[in-house]
Formats: sequence, C-alpha cells, structure tokens
Amino acid sequence: MLRLLKPNMKGMSMQIASKDISAVSMVKAALEKAEKYQDYHVFVSLNSENALKKAAEIDAKIARGEKVGRLAGVPYALKDNFLSPEGKTTASSKILEPLESPITATAVKKLEAEGAIMIGRTNMDSFAHGSSTENSYFGPTSNSKDKARVAGGSSGGSAVAVALDIVPFATGTDTGGSIRQPASFNGVYGFKPTYGTISRYGVVAMASSTDCVGFFTQNPEDMDLLMQICAGQDSYDMTTLPDFYTTTQSRQDSPRIGIIKDFDNDAVHPEIRRALTEKVDELKKAGYEIVELSMPALKYALAVYYIVVPAEVSSNLSRHDGIRYGYRSAEAETLSEVYGKSRSDGFMPENKRRIMIGNFVLSSGFYDAYYLKAQKARTLIIQEYAKAFEKCDFILTPVSPNPAFKLGEKVNDPVSMYMEDVMSVPINLAGLPSLTIPVGKTPEGLDLGLQIIGPRRSDAAIIALAMQAGDALRGPAAPARILRDGVDGDTKRQDPREEEVK
Amino acid sequence: MNITEKDIDHLAELSNFSLSEAEKTSLRQDLQNIIGYISQLDELDVSGVEPTYQVFEMENIWREDKILPQEADREALLNLAPAMTDNQIKVPKVL
Amino acid sequence: MSEKTDYEITIGIECHVQLATKTKLFSEVDNDARGKEPNSCVSPVDYALPGMLPRLNKEAVRMAVLAGHALNSEINLISRFDRKHYYYPDLPKGYQISQLYHPIIGSGYVQLPDGTKVRIEHAHMEEDAGKLTHFGTYSLVDLNRAGTPLIEIVSMPDIHSAAHARDYCKELWRLMTYAGVCFGDLYNGNMRFDVNISLAKPGAKELGTRAEIKNLNSFRSVERAVEYEYERQSKLLDSGEKVKQETRGWSDATGKTTSQRSKEEAQDYRYMPEPDIPPIHLEQSFVDEMKAKLPRMPEDYREMFKGILPDDTIEILLDYQPLIAKLAELYADNDDKTASKENISTSGVKKVANLFTSVLLAEENTSLLNDELPTKRQLIDLVTMLEKSELSSTGGKEVFLKFFDPEMHTKDTRTIAKELNVLQENDTGALEAIVDQVLADPACAQAVADFKAGSEKVLGFLVGQVMKASKGKANPAAVQPILRKKLK
Repeated sequence: MLRLLKPNMKGMSMQIASKDISAVSMVKAALEKAEKYQDYHVFVSLNSENALKKAAEIDAKIARGEKVGRLAGVPYALKDNFLSPEGKTTASSKILEPLESPITATAVKKLEAEGAIMIGRTNMDSFAHGSSTENSYFGPTSNSKDKARVAGGSSGGSAVAVALDIVPFATGTDTGGSIRQPASFNGVYGFKPTYGTISRYGVVAMASSTDCVGFFTQNPEDMDLLMQICAGQDSYDMTTLPDFYTTTQSRQDSPRIGIIKDFDNDAVHPEIRRALTEKVDELKKAGYEIVELSMPALKYALAVYYIVVPAEVSSNLSRHDGIRYGYRSAEAETLSEVYGKSRSDGFMPENKRRIMIGNFVLSSGFYDAYYLKAQKARTLIIQEYAKAFEKCDFILTPVSPNPAFKLGEKVNDPVSMYMEDVMSVPINLAGLPSLTIPVGKTPEGLDLGLQIIGPRRSDAAIIALAMQAGDALRGPAAPARILRDGVDGDTKRQDPREEEVK
Repeated sequence: MNITEKDIDHLAELSNFSLSEAEKTSLRQDLQNIIGYISQLDELDVSGVEPTYQVFEMENIWREDKILPQEADREALLNLAPAMTDNQIKVPKVL
Repeated sequence: MSEKTDYEITIGIECHVQLATKTKLFSEVDNDARGKEPNSCVSPVDYALPGMLPRLNKEAVRMAVLAGHALNSEINLISRFDRKHYYYPDLPKGYQISQLYHPIIGSGYVQLPDGTKVRIEHAHMEEDAGKLTHFGTYSLVDLNRAGTPLIEIVSMPDIHSAAHARDYCKELWRLMTYAGVCFGDLYNGNMRFDVNISLAKPGAKELGTRAEIKNLNSFRSVERAVEYEYERQSKLLDSGEKVKQETRGWSDATGKTTSQRSKEEAQDYRYMPEPDIPPIHLEQSFVDEMKAKLPRMPEDYREMFKGILPDDTIEILLDYQPLIAKLAELYADNDDKTASKENISTSGVKKVANLFTSVLLAEENTSLLNDELPTKRQLIDLVTMLEKSELSSTGGKEVFLKFFDPEMHTKDTRTIAKELNVLQENDTGALEAIVDQVLADPACAQAVADFKAGSEKVLGFLVGQVMKASKGKANPAAVQPILRKKLK
C-alpha cells in the first residue's frame, strides 16, 4: 500500500477549481464521515442540506468559469458558539435553544466569502466552560484515539472533527486553552491568535478580555491560510487590531527558543516531559538556541484566571434571562420565576459555578481582595512574559500537564479539572498568540502536543516556525491502520495527514 | 474563608438562580474548594502594581454618529422573544 | 405634643441628561424615538443578542466634553466605561454600561442666578434603559430608549432650600440646552432628576439620614417634592422617629412621595471595568478646542446685562436662549459680517428687551418664538427710528411684529414702517405748512383767539387738529413749538 501526503486546503480548492474533484463530492464525503463517526458525538447538528446546496452553487460557478474564493468547496465544522443563520446556535446549552440567529459572526462571513462550506456545528462545553466537553447539554464528545477518554475542551467537537479527518479545518474559541488543549489531546494543530486579531462579533461571549477566535487544522500551512483570511479589524468589535498578519516564510536567523523550568516538575506527566526534552534536543540539532527561563509568577496564573474569567462570565451571561430570546421556563408565572427558573434550568452546573464565583469576586466586600488583586497579579504575569521575550523569540511549553484523561474522571471535581488549564491560561491572561503542534504519542497511542508561544503580533512568525521546524517538532506518524468503520474506539487511526491511494 | 448557606443564598440571588436544596449543598462544597484555591493569591504581594483590565493596547476606538441599517430588524429580533404582544416583549407583571 | 423645630435641609441632586446625538451610544440606530413604533429603533446590540459588542459613538464623547465645560468642570483626559449589574426587563444585557471608576467629567460647579455656587462632584457617561408599560397581569418592554446616551451629573450636597433645588435644575437645563448637547424636552424625559434630601438640627455636625426621590421630570415637581419631604421628615423627627434611608417616588397628582425601596434591599451592583470598550484618551488640544466652541452661558449674559436690564427681565430672557443671544449680538458682537459693525446703546438694549418681553412673550404671540428672529440690521434700524422719534412706541411694536410676517420679514425696517404708514413727520418745513393750514382754518379761529387771550389749554386742541391734518404722522412733540412761534 502506497501513501501520499494529503493535499492541504489550498491544494483542495485548486483541485475543485480545476474540476478534478467537485465541491459536492467533497461535502458529501465530509457528511458521510460525520455520519460514520456519529458515536464520537462530534456534532450538535449537521448542516447537510445547506452545505450540499452551497457546494452545488460553487460547482456551478466553476462550470460558468466564474472566480471562486480561496476556500471554494472546502468543508468545515463550526463550533456551536458562532452565530449564523444556518442551523441553531446553542453553545451546547439549553438556555439558548432554540436560537435561530439573524446574525452571522464576522469570522463566519469571511470564511463563507472565500467559499468554505459549513457542514455542521460542533459540540463544546456549555458556553465554553470546561476542559473536556463533558459540560455539554448534549453529552460529551469522545477523544479521537480513545472513546473512553475526553476530547478535551471546550472546543472538543471541533478538535475531533479535524482529528477524524471529517473536515480539514474547524473553528474554535480559546479563553483559557479551549483550542490548544483539545488540539493536543487529538493530535492536530490548534491556534489561539494574539488577543484582538480575529473579530469576536457574533461569537457567544465567555470572557471578553481573554476570548479569542482560532482554528484547528491538520498542518500549519492551512492555519496560515485561515489567518490570512480571518485576521483584521472589525468595526463591530472595538477590540480588534488593524490587520498585522502577513505570512512570513523567511526563517529567523538562529531563533532563540525558551523553555520554562518552573513547568518541569512531577505535576507534569512523564510522557509529556519526555516529549518536550526530545523536541528540545531535535531543535538544538536543527540549530535553534535553547534558553532556560524562570517564570515564578506563572504559578499564580490559574488562580488569577479563575477570578477574572468567572467575573466576566457572570457579567456576560446575565443577558440570558429568558426574556428576549432562548429558553423561558414554562412553569414561570412571576417575573422572578422567569429569571430564576429559566436560568436555573437553562445553565449547566459548571455554568452556575462560574457565574456564582464571578458574582462572589465582584460582590461588595470581596472586589478588592479578589477581582482587583487578580487584575494586579495579571500585570505581573504580563511583565514576566515581557522579560522572557527579551531573552528569547518563542517559548515552547506543554499545553496541559496530562494527556487526554478518562471520561468522568474529573467532571465532578472542578478544581482538579481547572488544574488541567494551568499551562494554557497564562497565555490568555497576557493576550499572547500560541500554537499547539502535535509532537507524538504516548505508548498507549494518546496524542501529545506542545505549544509555541510568542510575543503579541508574532502570530505569523509562530506559524512560520511550525512550518520550518516541522520535522524537528512533528511527531512520528502513527502506524497506519485501516479503521474498522470507526466501531472500535481503541483502534489507532491512521495519521490524518496521510491517506492511502488504492 | 468559609462559605455558609447564607452566602450561597446571597450568591444565588445575585446570580438570579432558584436552586434546589441539593444544588445548594453541592455548589456550597464546590465554591468552598474553588475559593479555597483562588485564595492562594493572598500570599502574593501586589503593592504598587497597576491592574490590567484589558490586554488590548489601543485607545479611542469609536464611530461616526451616522444612522446605518442593522443586520436584524424589529421583526427578526422580536421573533426570538418567548412572548410578544403589539411589537413589544411580554413579561409577567413587573411589581 | 412635640414642639416644631426648624431643621436645616441639605439637598444633593443627580440629573440624567439625554444627549442629542443622531444615533445611540453603542449602536447606529435612530436615537430619537419620539412618535415612533415600539422597538422600531432597536439594534441587535440594544437587544443584547449573544455575541453583540458595543460600538462607541464619538459624537456622544464630544457632547460630554462640551457639557463638562458648561459645568465649569475638569475634563479627565483618560476615561473608561464600567458595567453596573442588575436585573430588570428594560435592561437587556443585565448590566448598564456606565462610568464609575474613571468618569469623563471631573469636579466643577454651577452658579445659580443669585450667585450661589453648587459644586459638581463629577459627571459620567452611561446608556439609558428601555421603557416598561404595565397592564393587568403583564408588562410590555419597549427598547427604543435602551442605549440612548446619557450623562449623569452628580452635585455635592450644597443645596439648602426647595427654591434653590428648583433653580439648580433649571440652571442645568439652561446649561445643557445652551451647550447644545440636549433638546431639553422635559415632557419626553430628556432630563430627569433624582433628589437626595436630609434634615438636621441647625448647627448639627452630621447630616441626617437621606431619602432619595427618584425620576422627577419638572422643576416644579422638584420644588414641590422637596417641600413635601421637608414636612414629612420634620414631622418624623419632631415626634422622635427616625427617617428611613430609602428610595421614594413622587406623584404630581397626590403631591406626595411614597416609599419604593429601602436601603436594606439595596442592590449590590457588582461594578466591573467594561472589557469590550478600549479607554478614551483625549488630547488636551481637543478639550481646549471644545471649550472654545462652547457658546455664551447664562452667567456670561448675566454679566453682560447686569445694571442694564432688571435682573428678573434677564432671568425671563435666559429661558429663551435665542432672544438673549440676539440681544447680545445687538449689544456686544462686532463680528457679524452681514450687519454693520455698529452696536446699539444700553437704552436700545432696553427697548429691544422690552419688545421681546412685551410683544414676543405675550400669550398671543409665543408661536412667533419658533420663527426666525429679526436681523441685527432690522433691529438696529428699529431702535434708531424709535430714538429719532420717527416711530412712536406703538408704531415700533407694529413694525416689530411685521418682522415675523412671511411677506415682510425680509424687508428693511424703514420700508416696513412706510408700508404700515407709521413714520412720524418731524420735518419742520412740512409741519409748518400743515400748521399754517390749520391756523387758517376758520374752524380754529376761536381757539386761536382764546390762546392769544392767554388760554394755554386750547394749545392741546390745536395740536390735535394738526395731528388730524397730518393723518397722525406728525410728531406732537415737534408740533407744539411751531404753534407757539406762529401764534406769537
């Protein structure tokens, strides 16, 4: 059996544009795979009809010789917290259902303008509150390599959709690791841009000061293309930066890569520490300078995060009150029941925890001791990164202390669940860009990922590094196995970057 | 610090939740643990440090005072309302 | 029987001013919902759909700076927005975007007509809430007003009488309308007043417990509510009871305030810096530029006309900014390119002010206030002709009214006077001719004889005859000496 590297999305849209493949067949294939992997519970809803219609339109355009976009006919999966009139936006919650949104998120507009076709909305932790996609009103999503394990979260569905090669890319949001952690749990690329790079307009808010729109892809080239398309200032989001993203192929001469000593401890899974040491050695061989960093303030990042973010969560979720849209409890007779019952039935336990924590840290008497103090500690964390980036150009760290854990293992223990975010949240607090790259597997075949972190606006450089240092960083391809129709969850799948040619 | 039942009732009120007793009990335990964890900030000295509310360095982002068409009109918006009368959103009597 | 004490009343006032922008504070929809269908001026942002973010209106910031200058306030170069959380069906986001920690307008003062200064603690920008209408078992929500830009002006507790409370509110109304940042339509809630009132024994160190009367929308109701509260609270204190710290509502109909919410139930607003809006950082040059753009304020006019016009006339005219501004134009402004550089004398100012108050503000003519006022040229000529007695005061009023007549308002004063035929004859030659003609009239022979016989009182009769002969155009003052000369 001979293997070829799969074409990236540029290649795909070229094949479609040159009529080698039809957009319809591409979308059909994606929808079939979505059906085939149903038991992973990747999707909240499929968009089959619209998707096929749009694909046919693209094929027709091409037949008429009209110009098509850079993603013409490329199927993708949409995290279910993006507003769009196609299907219902639920954010995997009950309280939003049914929201037939008249609004289209800016990121979705940009993707569709290039001809990308949304085939379905992916499962997530309700309102993106979680690190395992177990907090979904519709039930958890399984890990792409082990159905008994979590997909990671909150963008679990999107990560698995790309890992199972149902689609070449999926959207995500990253507030404290919600893209990077599920990417590392499923062996795909996951990018959280610099805060303000991609518009948040039309994306159900979690925490305004850390929310970022980003993507899952199977290679850095696709990530680069998506960033070219979606980065840029949006008059509908006052916190977007003027477009600064320009693809850089040029390799920085002797880039210095920092590694954080403080993370090298027993709290981190040995397999992850091994992977990091391996990659560091390979990078050295490849001519990269390695710099050891001490960043003591980072140990407070998780506490800061679980003060600042719940505060913003409690605020952003107060609009879900059963009055203007979404779920209104049928038993509610008085106004206070409309509020109380609708919000109590409509939110998941983790939503309620975070809303109540947020109201606690903001309430009179506690504001200074918790919220204000956390925002000051946040300054210290930002300063520590600034100092670090005087010594190095990028920082390479694990994404999470453990590989994918078992379903149900942590879901009832919030604090141990929060601990999984310890290495991903500091980046959000500082608004930095960070890319998860797959670097290999544990002996039992679980995916391992590391993240490359850079200074603000270094997004293109990070993605370029992933392309250049690819061979040094990329893990060995998993042994190819034909998946037995996805029935056996423990079956190791073939690497999504490869496909057989019969 | 110790989270009392009274605290939970107060936070539930601020959050506009009507919680079952069972929920209150489990939430009380969870909040106790979470607040216990975030309270580790007590040991950190932040005297003289300015808070950071936004990691967005830009200022003066604003628009011109010009009426523009909106992405959704009255009908599109009100159609989302669970209850509606005479182009207004209907709620139980506000006392 | 408890005896009656005279308490010292202390009043602080919070005033909400709706800014006269075209669009809302955070969305590009019409900000003027008067006479429009419910919820017809609502954007997805105002409706608080998920994923919607505020879009700050620059004009609201500009107007806030202007308002700050009108309040003699410092403008804070750096200001930020904060979220104020509470649940109410007319508050779609579950929080109001306001400014607690870094308001745009710092401390300043407002000077009342009698010279009393009321200090301004600060003033901040925020968004208005929607409107609720209540029915039998349900209420309806109209979000047209949700997101209208407001500035809330917070005074220090410097007010100590119902009259001053009224004067302060009225002065705020003048300042905001003069500055052009508010339409000043109180009936439609363009300005709303929350009044904090507390009583204390004279000379007491501490202020008493205060009650807050919310949402007053007229100067009169502010005054009446304060008077009522003084009575209510002093009765309580006299009979040894305590005043509850609470929010009370005012009813114009009953003339009473009633308890709405007591402090115990007071909300915890959980203020939080607004993460969706970057800070405002103004250039000092922009702030100064705005100060230069600020038109004359009531205090400027008071200074200008002090001693020229009676204070009460000034205060009346101050309620009609175009009138006082026109008066200033005639008296002090030399920059009017179209009109001549000349200005009128203080006596001229009195004449015009008199025409404004006695003619324009007369019941039957108030409609004219909406029309364009006469030009500087027209009024200067009118004053000159009155001073030269080419017009009688009655003739002057007739001409003045014609300035508002669509057929005539473009014509110059003299032409109008001619067409009205109210010009007075002062030319001695012409008058002598008429006098000769009258004296030659046999009907007057007897009178002439009586005068020569020394009867002064017939002179009046002869003057009358001359007036008649001149069809009333002769200036009586000019006629008399001529008669005397001729009858020598």
